[in-house]
Amino acid sequence: MKPTKFFIVVLVTLSLMLGACQPAGTSEPLATEEPVATGRPAAEEPADPNALPRDETLYFNGLQWNPLKGWNPYSSDMNNAMGIGDGGNNYSAQIPVFETLYMYNMLDGKVYPLLADGDYVWNDAMTELTVRIKTAAKWSDGTQVTAEDVAYTYASNLKYETSNGANYKPFIKTIEAVDPQTVVIKAILNDAGKAANPLVVAQYLSHVYVNQKAFTQKLEERVAGDPAAFKADPAEDAIGSGPYLPYFADESKVVLIRDDEYWGQDASMWGKLPVPKYLAHVIYKDNAAGFTALQAGEVDVSQQFNANVQDLWLKDGLPVSTYLAEAPYMVAASLPTAYFNLNSYGLDNVAVRQAIALAVDYDTIIANAMTNQSPTFAQVPRSIMNPTTGEQAMYNRNVVKDLQWTGNDIKSATALLDEAGIKDTDGDGWRELDGKKLSYKALCPNGWTDWQAAIEIVAAAGEKIGIDITTEFPEWSVYQTVFTDAKVNNYDIFMVWSNGASPTSPWGRARQLMSSEFVGTSNNWNGNWGGYSNARVDELLALIPHETDQAKLKEYYTELTKIYLTDVPSFTLMYRPDQFHTVNESIWTNFPNAEDGTNPPVPPTNLVKGYGIAGLYNLTLVSD
Amino acid sequence: MKGYRKYFLNKLAWFLVTFVIAFGLNFILPRLMPGDPVAAIMNRAAAGMTNQTAIQQVYERYTELFGTNKSMHEQFALYVRNAFKGDFGISFSQYPRRVADIIKTSILWTLALQFPAIIVGWIIGNALGALAAYLKGGFDKLLMPVSIFLSNIPQFGMAIILLVIFAVNAKWFPTSGGYGFDLIPSFTWSFVWSVFVHYQLPFWSIVLVAIGGQAIGMRSMAIYELNADYVKYSRFMGIKDRRILGYVFRNAMLPQVTGLALAIGTMVSGALVAEIIFSYPGLGTIIMTAVLGRDYPLISAATLVITVMALTANFIIEILYGFIDPRIKAAQAD
Repeated sequence: MKPTKFFIVVLVTLSLMLGACQPAGTSEPLATEEPVATGRPAAEEPADPNALPRDETLYFNGLQWNPLKGWNPYSSDMNNAMGIGDGGNNYSAQIPVFETLYMYNMLDGKVYPLLADGDYVWNDAMTELTVRIKTAAKWSDGTQVTAEDVAYTYASNLKYETSNGANYKPFIKTIEAVDPQTVVIKAILNDAGKAANPLVVAQYLSHVYVNQKAFTQKLEERVAGDPAAFKADPAEDAIGSGPYLPYFADESKVVLIRDDEYWGQDASMWGKLPVPKYLAHVIYKDNAAGFTALQAGEVDVSQQFNANVQDLWLKDGLPVSTYLAEAPYMVAASLPTAYFNLNSYGLDNVAVRQAIALAVDYDTIIANAMTNQSPTFAQVPRSIMNPTTGEQAMYNRNVVKDLQWTGNDIKSATALLDEAGIKDTDGDGWRELDGKKLSYKALCPNGWTDWQAAIEIVAAAGEKIGIDITTEFPEWSVYQTVFTDAKVNNYDIFMVWSNGASPTSPWGRARQLMSSEFVGTSNNWNGNWGGYSNARVDELLALIPHETDQAKLKEYYTELTKIYLTDVPSFTLMYRPDQFHTVNESIWTNFPNAEDGTNPPVPPTNLVKGYGIAGLYNLTLVSD
Repeated sequence: MKGYRKYFLNKLAWFLVTFVIAFGLNFILPRLMPGDPVAAIMNRAAAGMTNQTAIQQVYERYTELFGTNKSMHEQFALYVRNAFKGDFGISFSQYPRRVADIIKTSILWTLALQFPAIIVGWIIGNALGALAAYLKGGFDKLLMPVSIFLSNIPQFGMAIILLVIFAVNAKWFPTSGGYGFDLIPSFTWSFVWSVFVHYQLPFWSIVLVAIGGQAIGMRSMAIYELNADYVKYSRFMGIKDRRILGYVFRNAMLPQVTGLALAIGTMVSGALVAEIIFSYPGLGTIIMTAVLGRDYPLISAATLVITVMALTANFIIEILYGFIDPRIKAAQAD
C-alpha cells in the first residue's frame, strides 16, 4: 500500500501546484490589453470601467471577424466593420461613428438626409447637384460641420488616391463650398454636356463619409503628405460626427460608447439620443461560436447566417425573432449567381446554358443551402431585380412571363438539347456537341458551405440531362485570383455574389450581370465574369442613368430582363439577404421588423447601416 | 569533458545548419502556394468601387507597397536584412498592422494556454501510466481503456463535448472568448476571475487528450523497466519499493522527455482547434488566416518563431541527454 500512498501524495501536490499556477499563467496577456485611448474629450468614462452593464449595451455578431486596425475614415484597410464599413458593394455606409450626407434605405430605395438638410437638387442642365448642410450638425469636438468639411474631404480623397477618390474621380469633378451651409457637387460631363453618370454622383452622398477638415489637416501633417502613410495611419484621433465614439478594441472585441453631446438630438434630426449606451461586438471565430452566443443571449443582433433560424423560437422557445415572422425570415437583396464562362467549349451555345439552368433544382437549394431563408423562384420570378418591393416595381413581370423557369424541369431541358442537335451520339451517357463531349467543372470557394451545397445541386442537374458536371472547391485565396482575371479564368460554371440594394441599383446590378465593359479584363471585381457581350445591353446601360421618366425606365429594365432571361449568360441560384438580421429579445426589444409600423420603414440592416440606424432610437428594454 | 565538448560542438553545428535551411524554407514555401496576396485583399479594397481603371490602380498600389512586384531574390534579400533587425515587415492580410505587433498581441494567450496544458497533461499522464504499470490489477484495467479512449478522441471532438456538456447544457463555464463578453480588460478581481473561468474548457480539452497518450506510453515503458533485471535484483537485495520506483520512473521517462520537448517547441503554432471552438484568442487562428490570405510576411515570421523554438527545445534536450544518459554522448561522440 505504501507506493499507492506515495503516488497519491504526488498527484495531490501536483494538482495543488497547478491550481496555483493557472491564474498567474492566464493573467499574463493583460499587460497587452490596455484599453485603446480615444483622445476624445466627449467620451465619458463609465463608473466601473471594467464592466459593460448588460441593460445599457447592445451586442452584435457577424460584422467583425478579426481585430480592427484603426479608425481612419479615409482608409479601406481598417477592417472596422462597426465604425468604417462604407457598405462595400451596397454603398450604404455604417454610420454610428462617421456620418454621410444621406442615409440609404434599402426597403424603399430612397435616401434620407443625415448631415444634409432636405433633399439634394440637380440643376436643370444636370451638370451639378446642390446639398444644404444642417446648421445643427456638429463634430464630436463640438465644432460645426460645414460645407468646407465636405469639400475638403473629397479633395483629400482625390489627392491621396483613396479607394473612394479613385472610384468617384471619373464622375465627380469637384465638390465646392458655396457658403458654410451649401455644397455644390460638379459632375464630370459627357459629350452631351451632362453629368457622365448622375446615379453614381448621387450615390456618393450616402456612400462616402464627411470628414472633419481640421482632423484631415492634422493627419496630412503627421504623414507629411505621403499618400500611402495617409491611408495606413490608424488615426486613433479621428473626429467623427456620429452618435458613438470609439471606446475599446482588442483581439476579442470592439466597443463604441454613446456621445451624449451628439448633435442629432436636435429637433432637426432625431430629436433624441440612440437608446443603448454601448454598442459592442465580440469577435467570434466562426459561425458556430456566434450562434452559441446568440442562443445564450450574449448577442442581441446577429448578422450571420444561422441555419434553421426558426428552430430557435419554435423548438428552443427562445425570445429570438427575424425581420419577417415566416419564411424567408429575411429581406433578400442580393442574387448569388452562377456564371457560365462563355469561352468554355459549348457554353457559348445558348441551348446548353439554358438547359443547365432549367434542370437545376432550385427549391432544394433554397431548402437545404439556405434553410428557406430565401424566397423561391415561384414567389419571386427571375429577373435582374432583387426581391425588394422597390425594385420589383421597376420592371414589367408579365412581359417576361413566358421566359421564366422555376427549375428541376428535366423534360424541357432535354427537349431543348435534343432540338439543338446536342445528343449522346457515342452511347456513353453524355451528350456531345459537334462530336465533342460536354464536360464542365462547377466551382465555388471552399468552406462557403451554402454555396457548396448549391454547386453540388448544379452538378446533379448536369447528370440528369447528360452533361458531365463535376464540382471543385478551391480555397478562396486561389478562387478569387482566377475568376477575376479573364486571362487565366478556366472555370466553366462558377458562383459569384451580386450587388445588393444601393442607390444605383438595379442599374448597378444589370451592369454587373451583363456589361461588356468588363470582358477580357484583369482585376475584375465588377462583374460579367463569364465574358458575355451584347450591344443592345450596353446601349440600355448607357441610357438608364440619364433617364428620369419612370415609364421609360421600366421599359428599359424590362428589356434588359428579357435579354437576360433569353441569353442566360448566368443564372441566379437563390436570393440572399443583404444583411442577415436575427435578434434575441432577452434584454432589448422593439427591433425593426416587417410589422413595426415605422414610416418610412426601418430596414433590417443591423441598426448600424444606412437608414437602419433609425432602429437604435426605437429600442426599449424588455424589463421596462 | 573533452568528449562532451566534441558532442556539444557537433550538435551546435547541426543546429545552425538546420536553422539556415529552415529559415530559407520559411521564406520560399509560402510563396510557392498558388494565389496572389494582393488579390486576396482586393476584394475588400475594391468593395464599393465601380470603376475598372481605379481598381487596377489600387491593385498596383498594393503590389508596390508589399513589394510583391519585385523579383524573388530582391524580396529574399530584403527579408533577410529586416529579419536580422527583428523587423518582419507589414502584414498583407492585416495591413497596415505590423507582423511583430500581431504576433506580440496574440502569442501570450497561446503560451498561457498551451504551456501549462502540455506540462499538466504530461505530468498527470506519466504519473497515471507509471501507477498503472506498478499497481496492475483493477486500476490498470480501468485506466488502460480510458486512456485509449481519451487519446483517440480528436481534439475538436473533445472540445465540442466539453462545450456542450459544461457550457451549453450545465452552464458552468462560458461558451466562448478569453474573458467575459461584457468586460473590458483591467486588473480587477472580476476580470481575473473571468479569465480563469474562460480558461478552463480550452485548457482541459487539450489536457484530457494529452493525458491518454502519455499514460499509454509511460505504462508500457514502465512495465518494460519493472521487468528489467536490475529491478528484480534490487528486490532480492531488499531495497525499498519507493526507491526502486524512483529508478524505474527515471529510466522509463527518457523517451517521454523527448516528446515533451518537441511539444513545447511547437506549441506556438497554437491550439488551433481549441481557439476556434471556444473563440479563444491566440496565434493559431492568426496563422491559419495568414495562410488562407497568402500573408507571406506573417507566415514567415510565425513559422520562424516555431522553427527557432522547436530547434532550441531539441537542442537543449540533446545537450541534457548527454548528461542524463552518458551512453548517448558516448555513442555520438565517436
